[in-house]
Order: sequence, then C-alpha cells, then structure tokens
Amino acid sequence: MISIPVLLLLIFAAGLLAFIAHHTIPVLRDAIVIIAITIAGYIVWQLPGQTSNVNFSIGMFAINWGVTEYSQLFGLLIAVLSFFALIYSSAFMANKERLGYFYMNFMFSIGAMFGIVYSQDLISLFFFWEIMTWSSFMLTIYCCEEAQSVGLKYFIFSAIGAYSILTAIVIIYSGLGSLQLANIFANFGTMSIAAKLAVVILLITGFGVKSAMMPLHVWAPDAYKMSPAPYTAIFSGALSKMGIFGIGLVLFKLAAGQGFYPYVQEILAWIGALTALFSTFYAIFQTDAKKLLAYSSIGQLGYIITGLAIGTPLSITAALFLTIMHGIFKSMLFLSVGAVYYRTGTTNMNEVSGLIRKMPYTFFTALFGIITVAGIPPLGGFAGKWMLYESLIQSNHYFLVIVIFFASTAAFLYLYRFIFSMFLGQEEKETENVKEAPLRMIVPMLILAVSTLVFGVFPGLLLKPISGAMGYLGNFQHAWETSVLFNNWGSEIDLNTIVTSIGGVFIIAWILITVKGYRKNRYVTTKDIHTSGEVPTGNENLTYAIDFYKPFERALGSVLKPSVDKLYNYTGKLLEDSFEHLRYVYTGNGQTYAMYVMGFLLILFLFSELIFGVAL
Amino acid sequence: MDINWLKVLGIIITPIIAFIVGVAYGGIVRNITARVQNRFGPPVVQNFWDIIKLYSKKTTVSHGWMHHLAPVFAITASVTTLYFIPVLRDSKLFANLSFSGDLIFLLYIMVFGSLGMALGVGQSGNPNAAIGVSRGLSMMVGYEIPFVLALVAIMIQFHTTSLNDLLAVQDKFTNWIIFQSPIAFIAAILAFLGMMGYAPFDVVIAPAEIASGPPSEFGGKYLGLMQTSRSIFTFAKLVLFTDIFLGGAGDFGTLIVKTFLLYMIPVLTGIVNPRFRTEQAIRFFWKWPTVFGVIAILAVVMKG
Amino acid sequence: MTYDKNSKKIVDIIQNFARKHSLWILAYGTGCGAIEVPPTMTSRYDGERFGLRGAATPRQADVLLITGYLATKTLKRVIRTYEQMQSPKYVIGFGSCTINGGMYWDSYNTIKALDRYLPVDVYINGCMPRPESVISGFIKLQQLISEGKANGAEKYQKNLEWYRENQKKVIHNWKMPDYNW
Repeated sequence: MISIPVLLLLIFAAGLLAFIAHHTIPVLRDAIVIIAITIAGYIVWQLPGQTSNVNFSIGMFAINWGVTEYSQLFGLLIAVLSFFALIYSSAFMANKERLGYFYMNFMFSIGAMFGIVYSQDLISLFFFWEIMTWSSFMLTIYCCEEAQSVGLKYFIFSAIGAYSILTAIVIIYSGLGSLQLANIFANFGTMSIAAKLAVVILLITGFGVKSAMMPLHVWAPDAYKMSPAPYTAIFSGALSKMGIFGIGLVLFKLAAGQGFYPYVQEILAWIGALTALFSTFYAIFQTDAKKLLAYSSIGQLGYIITGLAIGTPLSITAALFLTIMHGIFKSMLFLSVGAVYYRTGTTNMNEVSGLIRKMPYTFFTALFGIITVAGIPPLGGFAGKWMLYESLIQSNHYFLVIVIFFASTAAFLYLYRFIFSMFLGQEEKETENVKEAPLRMIVPMLILAVSTLVFGVFPGLLLKPISGAMGYLGNFQHAWETSVLFNNWGSEIDLNTIVTSIGGVFIIAWILITVKGYRKNRYVTTKDIHTSGEVPTGNENLTYAIDFYKPFERALGSVLKPSVDKLYNYTGKLLEDSFEHLRYVYTGNGQTYAMYVMGFLLILFLFSELIFGVAL
Repeated sequence: MDINWLKVLGIIITPIIAFIVGVAYGGIVRNITARVQNRFGPPVVQNFWDIIKLYSKKTTVSHGWMHHLAPVFAITASVTTLYFIPVLRDSKLFANLSFSGDLIFLLYIMVFGSLGMALGVGQSGNPNAAIGVSRGLSMMVGYEIPFVLALVAIMIQFHTTSLNDLLAVQDKFTNWIIFQSPIAFIAAILAFLGMMGYAPFDVVIAPAEIASGPPSEFGGKYLGLMQTSRSIFTFAKLVLFTDIFLGGAGDFGTLIVKTFLLYMIPVLTGIVNPRFRTEQAIRFFWKWPTVFGVIAILAVVMKG
Repeated sequence: MTYDKNSKKIVDIIQNFARKHSLWILAYGTGCGAIEVPPTMTSRYDGERFGLRGAATPRQADVLLITGYLATKTLKRVIRTYEQMQSPKYVIGFGSCTINGGMYWDSYNTIKALDRYLPVDVYINGCMPRPESVISGFIKLQQLISEGKANGAEKYQKNLEWYRENQKKVIHNWKMPDYNW
C-alpha cells in the first residue's frame, strides 16, 4: 500500500528533478514528469484501499491527510487530465525556453491540487491552496511581457480569495478550537449564527475566485489566454474544479441544515445562472479562441454552481457529472486550440480559417468538444444537461431553468463560431503549408474525444463514483443505471436506444449518400463557390468571420454595456487617484512630519477624555 | 434476444409516411400560396418530382467530408425526432421509441440537425452561406426562449416531462392542453412561426439577399436529402405540437386534419408578410411571446 | 407522354419525367429580355404550373436562361456559371440576340451566336419574346428532355476543345479554372 505522502512527495520531487534535469540533462526532463504522473495515477487509483488517515503534526498544527469518495472523484480527474496534458506538452513545449521553470510549476500545481483534495484539515488545505495559486500565477506570466499585468490581476483576485479563506479559518479556529475537517463538519452548528454565516460567505467567496464565479471572474479570460495551452487545459479542466470541490464541501458539510441555508442556496443558484448567461454573451463576441473558451468555461462552471446550489440529489449528480465532463471537454478544446497555435502561431479566430483538411484530427477533437459542450445527445454533455434541467424544473426553479436554457442555447452561437472560423470556411494561402499536429499531441486529444462518446452512452460509468461522492456529501441518493437516467417524476431516458437510433440513421444515411453517384461526385476547393460567375483570385478574402454575430449584438442592444471588468478598473483608478492625493501628505520634509506629530499629540490631548476615559 | 417485430415495422414505415405526408404538404402549401397570389400553382405532387429530380442529378460537387455529411446530420435529426414522438395515440405500431426519451431530449435532438448542417455549410466556404448560418443561429436563440417557457409551463402544470404522459392527460376534447393552458399555447405557436422559417422569419434563406443562404452550395443528391429531411422534420414538428397541445390523434384522418390546420398558421402568416431583419425577429420573440410564456408559468404557479 | 428512346428502363422513364416536370431556372438577367421573366412567373402567366421555379445558385439550377445579348465581359461569367451547374443541365437562348446578334449584329463587344460558346438546347425567337413564347420554349425543352434529346451537357463535354477555342477568341484575359467533370 502506497499512500498520500508518497504521492505528494513523488509529484513535488518530480517537479524539482525536472527543473534540475533541464539544466543538466534535458533529455530526461519530459521522461521524469511523465513517469512521475503515470505512477501518481496508479497511486491515486489504488488509494480507496487506504483505510487509515495519515496523521502527523508540524509545530502546533495537526496535519491530517485522508481519502474520501468525494476527494477520490476529483483526484482521478486531476490524475487523468494531468497525464494527457503532460504527454501533450512534451511535444507542444519542445524548443520553448525556460522549460525547467515550466515543468516545475506544472508539477507543483498538480501536486498542490492532489494536496487540496486529500487534505483533511484546513491548514494543509490552505497551504496547498497557496502553492496552487503561486504555481498557476507563475505559469500565467510564463509566456511574455504582456502577461505581467494579467498575472497581477490574477494575483490580486487570488489574494482576495486566499484572505477570505484565511479569515474563515481564523473564525472557525476561534469558534471551534480545531482545524480538522471531521471536527468542523460535526460541530459547525454550535457556532454563533453570525460566525456561521461569515464563514460560509467567506469560504464561498474564496473558492468562488478559483471557479471564476461572477463577479470574481475577471481574471480568468486573460489568465487562460496567457498560460501555455497544455497548462490552460489543466487550469480550466482541473484547477477551476478545486473551487467547485470547496463550494461542494461548504454547501453540504457546513451550510446544510443551518437556518440561512435556503437563502444561500437560492442566491448561489442565481449567481451561477447569471454567470452562465453573461459569460455566454461575452463569449459570443470574442475574437480570440482561447478567450472565447475561457468565457465558455466560466459559463459551464456557472451551471455546475447552480446545480450544486439547488441541492437536490438529481441536481448534485448533474453538477458532479458536469464537473467531470467539463474537465474532459474543456481540456480537449484548449488542447485543440493549442494544436492550431502550434502550427499557425495564432489563436485569433479572424486570422486562421479552413484548417479542416490540414488538421483533420484536431478538427475531430474540436467537433466532439463542441458537441459535448452544447449537450447534444450522443455525447457526454447531454446526460449532464438533461439531469440539470430536470432537477431545476422538478425543484420549482422555473425561471432559473429559463435562464440556464437561454445560456445553453446561446452557447451554440459561440461554439459554432469557434469551430467555423478556425477549421471551416475559406482555405487561405497563409495556411497552405500547415500540417497536422505531431502524434504526441493528437493521441491525448483523441483519447479524450472518444471518452466523451463512451460517457455519453454509458453515463453510469461516471455515476458510480459520483454516487459514492454524494454519499459522503450527505447521504444523497439518486437512482441510475449504466445507460438509463431517471428524473423525479418517473420519466426516464434510455441512452442506449437514443444512441442506437442516432447512430443507425446516421450510418444508413451516410452509406446511401456516399454510394449514390459515387463516381460522379467530385471534390472542389473552397474557391469554387457561387460568386455570381466571378472567379475569385487567390488572395481575395471571402471569409465571413469578422463581426460574425452583428445581428445578435444589435438585438441585445445595451445589455452588454455594463461590465464588471470596467467597474473594477474604475475602482482601481479611483483608488489610484485618491492615493495620488494622499501622497501630498508625505512631503519628505522633516518639519512637516514634526507638525503632524504635534497635531496628533494635540488631538490626543484635546480628546483624551473621549478616547481613554481619563483626562491627561 | 427477441426482436419486437412490431417496433421494427413501425421504425421502418414511420419515416416513409412522414416523408410522403411532409412532401405532399409542401406541394399543397405551394398551391395555397399560388391561390393567394391569384395563380393556379403547380400540381400537388410537384415536390415529389423536385426531390426525384434532385436525386437523379448525374453529378454533384462536395467541398470536403463535413460538407458531405451535412445532409446526413440533418436527416438523422429529423428521423430521430420523429422516432421519439408518438405519432398516434395508444398505437403500439407508431409509438416507436417515444418511451425512451422525453421533451428535454427532443429539444436537444432538434438542434442536432441545425448544428450539423451549419458545420457542413461552413466547410463550403461560401460567405453567403455563413451569413445565413449566423442569422439562423441568432434566430434560434430568439424563438427557443418562448418555446421553452411554454414547455416548462406545461411540464410543471402536469408534473411530467414525457410526451406519452401528456397525451394521457388529454383524454377528452375539453382536456386538450390548448384549452387547459391557452397562454402557453400562444407563446408556443408564436415560437413555432420562427421554427418553421416562413415569412416574416425567413431571413435565414432569403433567396434574394444571400442566394438562399445555407443551402447555396448544395446541389443534386445533397439538396435532395436536405429536402427530404426538411419534409420529415416539418411533419415531426407538426406531430409534436399536435401531441402537446391538440391531444394527439387516434387515427391518421384526425392527424392529417389537425396537423394541416396547425401548418396553415405559419404558412398563411408567411404568405401575407414581408421579411423581418434578424435583430427585429429576435426582438419580436423576446417581447410578446416571452411575456406570454412568463404569464403562462406564473399562471401555473399561482394556481398550484 | 413520350419515353426516352434510348432506354427502356423504368428508372430512366421516371427520372426523365421528374426532370421534365421540375425545371429550376437560373436567369442570367443582364440582357433586356430579363424584363419578360417576371411576367412569365407571376399570376398572369404562372410558369409554376409547368414546374418552373427560380433557383438561387448555379449548384441548384437545371436551366440557364440567357436573356438577350451577351457582352464579351459577361460571357466569361456566363461560362463560369454554366460550368458550375450540375449535370444534366440545359441552356435556353432567349431573344434574337442569342441567335444571330439581333440588333447588335455589328457591335464590337457582343457575341453574335451563343451556340459557338455554350451548347444551347432551345432558342426562343423574338425581340423580345412574349411570355407566351417563353412558355412555349420551356414546353419545347420539356419535350426534348422526355425524348432524351436535351443533352447539351454531354455535347459540351465532348466538344470542349472547340468551345474553349471559341471562348478564348473573345475572352482575352482567360483566367478560369479547368472544366473537370
């Protein structure tokens, strides 16, 4: 039996070794991290066999690491995604600079995530949380000079989150005298109502930063854009799930059963839904593929938060299912954008087009990705979306379901735009020599893509660990079968039948249309289109990609005008201006300072009775 | 494994019936349009000749495999949608797969075809086609909102998401949902106008503006398959609306009457109307139909 | 109903019947004759009775309707459009100008006989032809189709070199993709 300390030690040591290896024997660098993550995957896999927790103490703090079914769900997600992302990055990051730095921080954030999910006390949780923040910050600013301001924004928000968590920890410690999760969960009800409410709000704020909950999301689009693609996959796929992990714990282990719980649920559900709605709107009008996916990621996390907040067994199942699926499909999408970037050097959707014939496998991944995000039946997203809608309708959240549905339908717009402007459309001269990405990048993407189909047909494969996790969260039970889903009103959907039907009709129609006139069917280029008889020359731009959704923008009108980002910028500027005035106080002149001291003493003297209770 | 031969038979003949009825409806609609415009119009079977002609074109061009697959996506969505709708009440033969899915599934499978088509159209590289797709997807966001509002109102009123249960509720004439929740019907039928794509919501294919938009690069067998799919899909949507609001139909005569009357709403609206711009259409759907949808939900909440 | 003389197969009969009764027109309307197309299609004469219908793009169309004179500049576009259409496809020359140049018989920049550049199946005489004669032209085309004689596309393919030679004589800046059926 190998346990958690070995796992953490392995990952962190591998990070350090990769750093050293990069400066001495660069060949070993990729091998070290991949071998380490493979072994780590095996350790995570056999962890549930572990019965006893790991206890030791550092100074006055008792450290406690252990495995629950809930943390195991997230642990496996991290392990799988990290494995694929590291294989991908061995090709993607080849010939880049400062790889030692890159791999060290990469491994540190993976290790930190493992640490977070397997911590059973708040001190080690906070410790790993900070390591995760630091290493992800380091990778956000890895790429270039421009990333520095982005990194600063990310860091400020992370600091807000960290201080909220720290404050909550202090309140808990002063109230309960213990930082063990088990103690806290058991005795949380004994604290005063104000303290309880403060803890819940502070913790949700802290975790909400990482899961990019509105209005704390403004760091995410830029940070996702600036980090290197393999890390973005982890950033959005796994790291943002740490926020979900925390919110789940807070909601069901702390807040549940308290007097204010229904209000917290309701408010959080609406925050999630509005996050989904507005980030979808913003995603529609992005021109950068990674920023588009970042907003999409924020929106998907909004669904998950809503699902968790509703708190019925079906909705929690839906939320956890979507958590796993989002990890998979958002990694796929970021990896495919990374592949495009690797070959063309840009992620701007207005600059590349028509890559489908050049990069068919990348297109295939992106296609499966968008179908899953859209929640269209044969693939995995559908089961999650279906459960979410059913749970919302059946728990009397009628208008919430409309908002969620609105966001989900509007998501088709940006998904189509994403795949259209990069892979479809006119094949341009600039991309003539583009080739398919190397095998080490293709294989991880394809495996993830196929897994969405598997989970789409057999959601039960995921529902088994999820129901275990729900049992840990508070004895939630929801019936399921390997490929049949039930709602609370006795309806069911049989995914086997659905997939058979879709697949059968699809294949029959495919054969028919291919066989019919096969010899007389010929391929023409994208320049051979109806252009009113005109023959387009090679450099004529026929791509329709800029301002793709202008009509929709006009229809929305001024809904998009108020932006949280601008509000923050305005606040920042206001503070800066006020500090500018404050600067005049510090003149640097000794006489002025002496006068301040005199004035202070004078005030003390005059109001001493008011302040100290005795006259001086 | 024992095979349910009745089910297999239903699965084979349902699309054929839907095809025949759908295409015939297309011909009748062209006739009615002609009569309104003081013309004779083509024979009723005209659309059959059109489709046969398209299939018997000797040559076709494709712009790649996604373009090749686009009509396949469309017909998959149409036929699957049809399979998950009970065509006749209490009929074992025509129930098909309707017990394996529900309304939310139908909402999603219905956009499967649009997305597949949009992908194929995208690969053709025709800017007009891309403009059409952009308009189509934007409009979809418009009309889906009142439609979902209406459906949610009905779902919470009858505590079910299954079409078969909704059919069971409407056991007699006075229990039809159109009478039980008329406001939801108004919202849904306004959304239906957008769904069918007749004027004033025909900005997607607007032949005079963007050269028929999405299908502009499709010819021969591809266009033929798309027309087939469109006919089947039209019939499927009509049956869906009949099942939800008009109490379904016990036999084909009733079904034809109900679906035909329902079909005349968008058709007759279309004949006498000019065309909305995209943003006007979206705003239209977000105004009155949405208000009706919200009222429908509120009415149910107040009552229950 | 007249059958295809060359083939007795029932499939061909049905196909030809369908082709005959469903003619989607791509009207190349730069000539003055284009003004006669709307009356043909609207309620006075109602071309839709015969299965005629407008098509938006060459990919969908069956009949290319050349409505009048063709300048050498527009000829290039017409050829391109014709080549983009899907076989079987038909060309109708509309008005005197397409037959012998009509009133432009001595113009320096119009072509005289359309037949030298594209395989015309049916000519409609007149300057300009009335809707009645347009409809009679279409009925003539339908007869040719059902007899299997409207095979302009095959003629064009067979004699492509001759057509290309003629086309290149009047179009000097020839920058066109190859015709590759």
